[in-house]
Amino acid sequence: MQQRPPLVRARPAACLAALAACVLMAAAPPAQAQNLEVAVKATYLYKFAPFVEWPPSAFETEVTPLSICIQGEDPFGPVLDRAVAGQRVGPRAVVVRRMARVERNAGCHILYAGGSRAQSAGDALRAVRGAGVLTVTDSGHETGAHGIIQFRIKDGRVRFDIDDAAAAEDHLTISSKLLSLALSVRTRR
Amino acid sequence: MRFWSTIPERLKLTVVLTGALLLLVAGVWVAVFNERLYREQKTRDVAVEAEILAASVAGALAFDDRSTVQQYVDALGANPEVEIVGVYDDKGVLVARFARKDAAEGPTLEITRPVTQGQTGLGRVYLKTITEPAVRRASRVGIIALLAVMASLLVAMMGTGQAAQRRANKALAERAEELAEANRQLEIEMEERARAEEALRQSQKMEAIGQLTGGVAHDFNNLLMVASGGLDLMDRTEDPVRRQKLKDGVREALTRGADLVRQLLAFSRRTALKPEVVDLGQKIESMRILLDRSLREDITVNMDLAEHLWPVELDANQLELAILNLAVNARDAMPNGGPIVVKAENAPSHRRDGETGDYVCVSVSDQGQGMAPDIVSRVFEPYFTTKEVGKGTGLGLSQVYGFCRASGGEVRIVSEPGQGTTVAMYLPRSNKAAPEKPIEAVRRRRTRAQGRVLLVEDDEGVAALVAEMLTELGYAPTRASTVSTALDVFDRDPAYDMVLSDMVMPGERNGLDLAREIWKRRAGVPILLTTGYSEAAAQATAEGVRVLLKPYRIEALASELEAAKADARRLHA
Repeated sequence: MQQRPPLVRARPAACLAALAACVLMAAAPPAQAQNLEVAVKATYLYKFAPFVEWPPSAFETEVTPLSICIQGEDPFGPVLDRAVAGQRVGPRAVVVRRMARVERNAGCHILYAGGSRAQSAGDALRAVRGAGVLTVTDSGHETGAHGIIQFRIKDGRVRFDIDDAAAAEDHLTISSKLLSLALSVRTRR
Repeated sequence: MRFWSTIPERLKLTVVLTGALLLLVAGVWVAVFNERLYREQKTRDVAVEAEILAASVAGALAFDDRSTVQQYVDALGANPEVEIVGVYDDKGVLVARFARKDAAEGPTLEITRPVTQGQTGLGRVYLKTITEPAVRRASRVGIIALLAVMASLLVAMMGTGQAAQRRANKALAERAEELAEANRQLEIEMEERARAEEALRQSQKMEAIGQLTGGVAHDFNNLLMVASGGLDLMDRTEDPVRRQKLKDGVREALTRGADLVRQLLAFSRRTALKPEVVDLGQKIESMRILLDRSLREDITVNMDLAEHLWPVELDANQLELAILNLAVNARDAMPNGGPIVVKAENAPSHRRDGETGDYVCVSVSDQGQGMAPDIVSRVFEPYFTTKEVGKGTGLGLSQVYGFCRASGGEVRIVSEPGQGTTVAMYLPRSNKAAPEKPIEAVRRRRTRAQGRVLLVEDDEGVAALVAEMLTELGYAPTRASTVSTALDVFDRDPAYDMVLSDMVMPGERNGLDLAREIWKRRAGVPILLTTGYSEAAAQATAEGVRVLLKPYRIEALASELEAAKADARRLHA
């Protein structure tokens, strides 16, 4: 028999997701809400991975780590590092790399385009277009660029739009489960 | 079923009990097996449900879409068997849950399944369901209960059946016992009936004789009158011619009386039914004196006997009785006298009961008052009589009827008021030949010496007379008065040529005992017994000893003595 998991009793080490939930229901102070929003987004970054299928060429081996690249301005900071610590996507470990500019062959699998003076978010996206990289942007940051996935706040919750057409161009397959959670989907032709 | 019926009852019960037990065990096993199967199936079903839930909530769980997760959970809660649903994220935090308030009692099933996407764990789902609804459970228990009831019923029915069979067997045995008892009773009754029938026959004879008594007595009176008158007249005359005439008259009267008595005795003898081949003409002719003399003086008996009558096989005694009964009836039908005709003739191709056959018809006719048809139809019933009280018992015609039926024949009666009555007995023809007529006593005188005779007779007068007769016939008699003295004489001198002995004598031993003793000492000695008792005679005849019935005339004595000697020669040649 499988051990019965606790139903009501919450673990003392409440995770970020739980914190995020609290944020959504309570009228928290803006700064704290800001932090929670960042934390949720950081978690989402690696959580997208299981719902996305990369082309085989994207990984050298079976165990090649999944690279999450943060280009330009980094809104996450150590929150992201803590979130991905010890996380695995299947057999793969998850690594976070930060860079001012992103190159086409930088080996990124997920790219958060924050944009910087050295390389705007739009440039960053253009740099990796067609290279099989899941690009993520945030509508909250006025970069004007739209990645395959774009974070959006709705009803005080972190949601996202998905550009499945762009994903197709990048040879990425996004699970319908993820698509069904999106606020809007630009379908592939 | 034939095979089943050969099994002993006790074994049958064991077999059935074992069968019932096996049935019950099989039922329980099937129930347990079903239960396990059902539980496995249910576990699979619930697991699949949990997996579907896990797959469905994967995205929502990963991206914290609680309302979506809750929708999935609530959707599962629509299933009444589901008690609790819980969804946990990868940190083990409860994200959504459903718990039924009015959860039913009974066994439950708990399943936990991980929520994964690709190879990444996202959390888990927990599902608790009722294994089985109460109705389904009750139905399964009901089936087992039904099996148990059926098994008990089977045993009960077998038990009842066996009990019924035992009862039936017992009843059958009792019935058989009753039947055997009834059979024993029947046998006893049959014996009694046979005895009663014999007694009836005897009483029928006695009845007939009783009917004759008047006539016989009258006849005897006449005979005595002739005898005593003759003797008186002989005393008064010296004329030899006249004396001879008177002597002849007296002898004839005595002869007639002796014949009459002999017939009466022979007739009244108690005998068993003994069918024999009989010459009817001879037998009826021999009754002439009896009929002539024993009826009334105003009755004449005419015999009309055809030549060459076929032989018949019947009991001669009963035949005589039947003719006598018919003659008595004919007499009584003619109070003013008249003729009775006894007729015998062959009746070829006589039709009886739809079949034809050869019969001899013996009829007795009178010219009396006759009978009305309603009386004719009843005359053969026992004890039916038209006669006054004291005149008849009503057994006469029933004897005639019984005799004819027993002989394989029938009796017919033709009667009309004022026209007389004819009763005809049809007796079936026998294909056996009638015995030769007995040799008539030869009247001859022996003058030459015939041998020495041991005469045993207790009565002095009879002894003197018989000694005279023997001497007359040429024998040399030596007299002994008892069986003992006779044996003494014989022991001293066993060379006697013959023994002539009375049958009934004082002392413990009779003539038949003497005959046995003498034959024990010297076989082949001719022995002749004489007696007036017909029953004793029958006994002696049965043992092969010749018997001469008293009274007898000298010619009969001579003839029987010769016959006895001939017997001895034949048997001990």
